[in-house]
Amino acid sequence: MSERWVAGHVPGLAAADIRYEALAFGAGADTMSIDVPALDAAQMIAVAQHVQRAARQHLQTLPVSRIIALIDAAIVRLLDPDDRYRRDAERLLAIVTGYNAEMIRLGLNGYLHTFRAPELHRFVAEDFANPKVLDEFQPAMKGGMARAIGPALLAHSWAGNVPGIPLWSLVCGLLVKAGNVGKLPSAEPVFATLFARLLAEIHPPLGECMAIVWWKGASPAIAAPLYAHAEVVLAYGSNETITQVRSLVPITTRFLPYGHKLGVALVGRAALDTARGPATARLVAHDVVRYEQQGCYSPHMIYVERGGRVSPREFAQYVAAELENLAHRYPLRTLQFDEKTAIADWRRAAEVRAMSGERFELIGAERATWAIAYSDTPLAIEPGATHRTLSVVSVDTLEHALECIAPGARFLQTVGVAVDAQALHPLAQKLSVIGATRITAIGRMTQPEAGWHHDGRCNLADLVRFVEIEQSAEAMSDRLAAYAEEDLR
Amino acid sequence: MNASPPPSLSIETRALVDAVLAFIARDAHNNTAPVSHDEFMTADFDALALRLFAHQYANNDPYRRFCQGRGVTPRKVSGWRGIPPVPINAYKEVTLSSEPVGQCEHVFMTSGTTRAGIKGRHHHPTLEVYDRSMTHNFAQRFMSGHERLPMAILFPPESELPNSSLAHYLSLASSEFGTDGSRYFVGQAGIDVDGFRRWLERARRADKPCAILGASYSFVHVLDAFAAEGETFALPQGSRILDTGGYKRESRELTPENFYDALSLTFSVPREHCINMYGMTELSTQFYDDGNVVLPSVKSGPHWIRSRTIDPLTGDDVQKGARGVLVHCDLANFNSTTSILTEDVGIGVDGGFLLLGRAEGAEATGCSLAVDEFLKAVAR
Repeated sequence: MSERWVAGHVPGLAAADIRYEALAFGAGADTMSIDVPALDAAQMIAVAQHVQRAARQHLQTLPVSRIIALIDAAIVRLLDPDDRYRRDAERLLAIVTGYNAEMIRLGLNGYLHTFRAPELHRFVAEDFANPKVLDEFQPAMKGGMARAIGPALLAHSWAGNVPGIPLWSLVCGLLVKAGNVGKLPSAEPVFATLFARLLAEIHPPLGECMAIVWWKGASPAIAAPLYAHAEVVLAYGSNETITQVRSLVPITTRFLPYGHKLGVALVGRAALDTARGPATARLVAHDVVRYEQQGCYSPHMIYVERGGRVSPREFAQYVAAELENLAHRYPLRTLQFDEKTAIADWRRAAEVRAMSGERFELIGAERATWAIAYSDTPLAIEPGATHRTLSVVSVDTLEHALECIAPGARFLQTVGVAVDAQALHPLAQKLSVIGATRITAIGRMTQPEAGWHHDGRCNLADLVRFVEIEQSAEAMSDRLAAYAEEDLR
Repeated sequence: MNASPPPSLSIETRALVDAVLAFIARDAHNNTAPVSHDEFMTADFDALALRLFAHQYANNDPYRRFCQGRGVTPRKVSGWRGIPPVPINAYKEVTLSSEPVGQCEHVFMTSGTTRAGIKGRHHHPTLEVYDRSMTHNFAQRFMSGHERLPMAILFPPESELPNSSLAHYLSLASSEFGTDGSRYFVGQAGIDVDGFRRWLERARRADKPCAILGASYSFVHVLDAFAAEGETFALPQGSRILDTGGYKRESRELTPENFYDALSLTFSVPREHCINMYGMTELSTQFYDDGNVVLPSVKSGPHWIRSRTIDPLTGDDVQKGARGVLVHCDLANFNSTTSILTEDVGIGVDGGFLLLGRAEGAEATGCSLAVDEFLKAVAR
């Protein structure tokens, strides 16, 4: 009998009134069923109102540093290998996402570290020069006073199976003291659930300020009433998903879409001497294998500069060798037929390209669980099929790589680079103009720093509205105060 | 059959053409139901498949590069299953012809619906083999003992679509198996519903079996037109219908169940006489079912084509009853590549395979951009 687990976190409703739907996960021996809370429209509105009230009462009265301390307490527990929430997370995520268990363990550690208290303080300070504006009116640089007010109700529409993605926006919502209603991603209903329950255990009033629910597909009948109540709506997913959500959000409501993105890597000559070449290739391979290239920061194409001791083709072969190693250490999960088809299509397309005799080849045996398409001529940016399918493209100089990348600029997020100090800033300058929002070291592509600006946005500042007391109001109030000297003029 | 004089083929190619024609003719006197593939002339099939493979490997540079990429040479292959199947997309990107294309009498092109404007090309130095394959098979699988039938064809004539393999196929059907009363009802002006209606009326009054053949989407258009008027036509007993090709976004999509119900209701042709042909530009041989009473119907081909269903990633054969991607080895493809990897999903069953439709890649489950989404966005 396979395991059954209940997801979601629904304050404000009697448990007996909540209807659940079962989602099936896993393959082979590791299958499980997860019950997700499927509210009706009236329940959704009741929960939204409950969460909004609770946030006003319990969250908006806390200073931001106290909220950080509470989140930190939850993160510390999630980093503890013996904690039951952590154990649940590892076990359930492995089944639900199919990712290799060790990969999940390492990935979670790296990810959660960026949510520790010092990192969260840094994160808040990135967007608010004076974090106390989240608590009370503070002197503004231009004069007068200002404070930042988070949305009374923040609705999150989560998507995707990369573990922990919902944590990002949920933490943002809490830091700006919003009431939160999050829609679980059907592909990964575990992490947000665990985090909400853990926070509720640590500080029960906080548990009242967020609801973790689910609905099927677009479900306008359920989603629209929620969005109508929300002050800000945040949506992750494909353009199709985001289009659906946006169509349900009132025009007067702030809408923050986070669409699917694409990462690339650039390897300069300096990283291609005989000692560094193989080491750089190893780092590339790790970026590829982590989360099976399903993250928005994951690399799909690597542009490699000619002229180093290690040629681009040799570099591709080093990456291939490392992917083969990693295939043993972190085996690819069992794929569904349609996933196999997507990868097969990508491989076939590469083989067909190779047939035309362009300097192009598919590296990787038919049976390998990875594949590299190597092009000896420039190739415009294009997503691969994920699951360890990578294009390695030879370019005369990284200038040429920029030309290849530019057409896909609107999807560009992370650029992993391995270049020398002289080259970094001029290159970054050009990448920033093209449209990249994050430039990082190869090997760190899937691990953004704490406080990064996801997709180039001010992720906290985007959520708030600033309220300003202008100097004139202060001046007038002074004139009207009881202590005011009689104005004789 | 084909009126043009036989083109000059190299001696080698001529010999291959003759070998394939001889192979096709081997059951010429055996007009009964086709024997199960696995029992039928396996050794001979393998021998001819390997001979064609060696020829194609030697004379077709892109195909040779493809095989080399897979580490396969003719020496390493011992049977048809070992011949590397070319993804059908390759027919769009490269020239897959053993004869110089200048020497090819005919080129069939795909419709170019999948990727706008990009058409796959299948070169035929001679249509002798294609035509023999078509007629031999059609006689057995569609004509059900009739020598000729009056045919209504719901597809443009070959003169209007000279590079369409389906137009050629239907033109052969009409010239080799149609009576004088056979007519086309689709042309530049679209579907001649009124003309078709009159033809059906005449056929009904004549009280002799007739046949309607055409693209599946053309049938949908006439079904819609007749349904709007509430019209039905009680065609004489023994009449038959052949549809092919799916809807290709040319018409609304019907479920196969509804489609065959509507056909049999509108034309009084029972579903066992509604035959679906599964063919493709990249092949020279067609598959048929024996009616569509039970769906999906079992498709099978003649003894000169063999199919397998493979795991899309490993290329291994999947078991009977399991889903796989269809690979066909068509000996009538003597000039291009005998073995092709389709984009169709099927299930191997006794006596043939079930065709399930197009293989679709998975939607992205992460937040990484998927190819489809990217292409859609950059195409704007």
